[in-house]
Amino acid sequence: MKPFLAYLAKRLLQFAVVVFIGVNITYVITHSTPIDPVEQSVTAATSFGVTSPEAIEMMRASLRQLYGLEGSPVEQYLSFWRRVLVGDFGPSLSAFPTPVSTLIWRAMPWTVGLLLVSTLMTWIIGNLIGGLAGYHRRNRLLKLVGIVSMGIHPIPYYIVAFVLLIVFGFVWPVLPISGGAGMSADRGDTFGFALDVLVHSILPSLSLMAVGIGGWFMGMRALVSNIVTEDYVTYAELGGVGRRRILGSYVMRNALGPQVTGLALQLGAIFNGAIITEQVFGYPGLGSLLISGVNSGDYSLVLGITSVSIIAVSAAVLVIDLLFPLVDPRVEVR
Amino acid sequence: MTPAPLPTRRPSPAAAPLLEVSDLKAYYQMRFFGVTREVRAVDDVTFAVRRNEIYGLAGESSSGKTTLIKTIARAIRPPLNVVGGSVTFDFQDGRRDVYAMTPAQVDAIRWSRLSYVSQGSMNVLNPVRRIRSSFVDFAARHIGGTRQAFFAAVAAHLRRLSLDPKVLDAYPHELSGGMRQRLTIALATICRPEFVIADEPTTALDVIVQKGVLAMLREIQQEIGSSILFVTHDMAVHANLTDRLGIMYAGRLVEEGPTTEIFRRPFHPYTANLISSLPRIGDDVRRSGLPGAPPNLADPPSGCRFHPRCPLAVPRCREAVPPLEELEPGHRVACHVAKARATGAALS
Amino acid sequence: MRILAILRDLLRYNIEFAAGLVLVGLVAVMALLSFASPYPALDVYVVPPDVPPSWDYFLGTTSRGQDVFWQLTVAIRNTLTFGLVVAALSRIIALVVGLVAGYKGGWVDRVLMSINDTFVVIPLFPILVLFYFIMRDAMSWAMLALITAALGWAYDARLIRAMAMSLRTREFTRQAYFSGASTGRILVQEHLPFVLPIVFSTTMNNINWSIGIEVTLSVLGFTDINTPTIGGMIYWANQHTALVAGVWWWIAFPVALVVMLFVGLFLLAISMNEYIDPRSRLARMGGGA
Repeated sequence: MKPFLAYLAKRLLQFAVVVFIGVNITYVITHSTPIDPVEQSVTAATSFGVTSPEAIEMMRASLRQLYGLEGSPVEQYLSFWRRVLVGDFGPSLSAFPTPVSTLIWRAMPWTVGLLLVSTLMTWIIGNLIGGLAGYHRRNRLLKLVGIVSMGIHPIPYYIVAFVLLIVFGFVWPVLPISGGAGMSADRGDTFGFALDVLVHSILPSLSLMAVGIGGWFMGMRALVSNIVTEDYVTYAELGGVGRRRILGSYVMRNALGPQVTGLALQLGAIFNGAIITEQVFGYPGLGSLLISGVNSGDYSLVLGITSVSIIAVSAAVLVIDLLFPLVDPRVEVR
Repeated sequence: MTPAPLPTRRPSPAAAPLLEVSDLKAYYQMRFFGVTREVRAVDDVTFAVRRNEIYGLAGESSSGKTTLIKTIARAIRPPLNVVGGSVTFDFQDGRRDVYAMTPAQVDAIRWSRLSYVSQGSMNVLNPVRRIRSSFVDFAARHIGGTRQAFFAAVAAHLRRLSLDPKVLDAYPHELSGGMRQRLTIALATICRPEFVIADEPTTALDVIVQKGVLAMLREIQQEIGSSILFVTHDMAVHANLTDRLGIMYAGRLVEEGPTTEIFRRPFHPYTANLISSLPRIGDDVRRSGLPGAPPNLADPPSGCRFHPRCPLAVPRCREAVPPLEELEPGHRVACHVAKARATGAALS
Repeated sequence: MRILAILRDLLRYNIEFAAGLVLVGLVAVMALLSFASPYPALDVYVVPPDVPPSWDYFLGTTSRGQDVFWQLTVAIRNTLTFGLVVAALSRIIALVVGLVAGYKGGWVDRVLMSINDTFVVIPLFPILVLFYFIMRDAMSWAMLALITAALGWAYDARLIRAMAMSLRTREFTRQAYFSGASTGRILVQEHLPFVLPIVFSTTMNNINWSIGIEVTLSVLGFTDINTPTIGGMIYWANQHTALVAGVWWWIAFPVALVVMLFVGLFLLAISMNEYIDPRSRLARMGGGA
């Protein structure tokens, strides 16, 4: 148990470091602007409609706090941190007076759902196919699948999403290309609603998966090719252990470790991809919210989403790190 | 270590041998960019191992001994290919030509008739699974029975070898090297195979652990009555364990005979050198190694492969390959000079 | 020179490298053609708008009255330049961090890796978006390049560090150390040549990544969209609802060209990686099952 506790402590520390540095970067950026951000935001936000003078004052006050313009530099810094840790980013400017946190909570499940499902599927499918390809080197079908997935892999998420949008939006319009669920969907009818959500998530998921599979495929294939030359695999073959058992228990199982670590490392990039993909398909997650926030000059919202993204991704990485010992018991060797 | 008296055993010389290797040739064949290269790792090796016998294979690294036993166990892959000769086992349920069987047939005899103890036991057990799962993977299909019965049999086997059955619940990295090696031997013998190939099982261990492992091997050999083909470059281990000894050099078998005979009177100059390199307590003579280095097997010397380093070499050694011939009952040598001396015939 | 010999071998025996080189070469040619453009890059309405690809206008014209072909040459040149600059800058950071961390070990390594892991985990896109939000029109290309480079070195620094750690234990390193060479000299003179092949392949990946960032940001209108870039072209096409209006060539050709670049660079990167790994070289020679 001892080595695991040490490992846990290390991971928690790293989590704290990541959040600390990330939020500090955010703070530095917000303070690097040459112009008065408060007035700029207020003008931008109020240009979209009529707002009462009290509302404008509230906005100003909240913004001044968020931008950290109140009080001495130290107080600014501390109050910024307090806000971030509590999750209180004040009211959204574009959807005044709805608090930013409400908007984020509303959008969060969509993003989390999309990410969870597509990331897991991409990881599992990519690793499976890659593992098989690494073991059965001469199989033509696997080679073909490999080439296709590796061909799409370097293309940025935006372009793949865009191409899929064109294909399924204009050329062969069988799937919905925008929204999280149909406009007229009845939320009361859970099964029908769930189905609707599922159908709407097909294109964004497909887009994320198309880009992602190639990466896992390549990594797993390389890992498996190396593992088959390891002593324990050769010995199992010498022992007459069944091929399927060798592939599963000896080869793939040992490749899982690095791939789980890889997943932790890639989460940031996958998250980026998800944000952009949401934007393309008008999926009501954090991505679309972020972009619309930028376009409507909603500083609080943008800051809120950025902070939440940093904390959420770091937390997810922490969770994966903690699950790692289940996959590879040699924890202290790391 | 001087040779200890061997425990009584009765190898049966009259009965057919358990393993027969005839004229075995295994070469690495590689093509790069239009040029073919052949490395003759095992070249024309013929020998036999009898029932209930411990046969040792000695030689320096790159002598081909590991390649030889891998070939015998049919554990080789391209670019290493068998280009000639045969490997035949005479098991209790019939004769088997290892290379004439289908892979499925080979898998059927693995572990139940023919098992393998590997070098570098650091890494031969699956690192992400507990020891018990390795036992299941290797032995369950041969031993059969319910899970409980199986694990009871495994536990009994371990206890007989002075190992605590609790070790089954550990992961390989939690155990010491010596422990892992002993477990590997236990794993290799649990199905009571007729033939065990042991590839440098004591090499990475310190002397005290080595002693324990060798004792374990001897015990189990006595109990099960299997034959062991034991490979190591350490002549002291051979002296302590084996009944007969084969010396390999550059892919060829250069001498073979009962271990005591070989130590008492080595015919081949290479064997003599291997033996004299062993230090003895109280002996303060300077040891000198052989000059030169093992030959390049892609382009080996002509005739006897040892001649560039041999203190006794004569022109004939460069021209003709010396055949492996019996100079004393049960004692074969491949050396022109040794043969001439033994038979009194003149060297042409 | 050794490097030329390696390149020649790669070209002859490695089809991915050759294919990658061809693709990247084509893109480079397009970029160079931009200097021969008959129309000033920033001008609009210089030719009849919305003309499909034809003999007069090789790839058609845009709704803003620009020749797609010549716009594309300038766009790819700008995009490529951005990618190269960011890759160059981040190489420097990655090399310094990777080599120092790998060589020094101990607490230096731990601290650097902790920082490194931070940059690997943090989602960079929201930060870039935030940066744009704050800077707005004050954000120049130089600034964007700088901050992208400052965010994009982490993954590659890890790879370099791994290599540096294995080099640390080698004989020649010990020799250099004991003969009194300073850390800097050891790193630059002894280790750098070994690390270069990895750096090369990571550079390809980094260029892909930074161009991906540029395209994505520009498409959303988050950069200076008056400078023609690939992302910018797609942005303007979207603004003019090109797809709905049927002006498909405005989008198709920039996308096709940039995909060529991505795939080409990727092929170069993986062929380089494969070359470095001796096991794959052995597999090509006829070994392996």
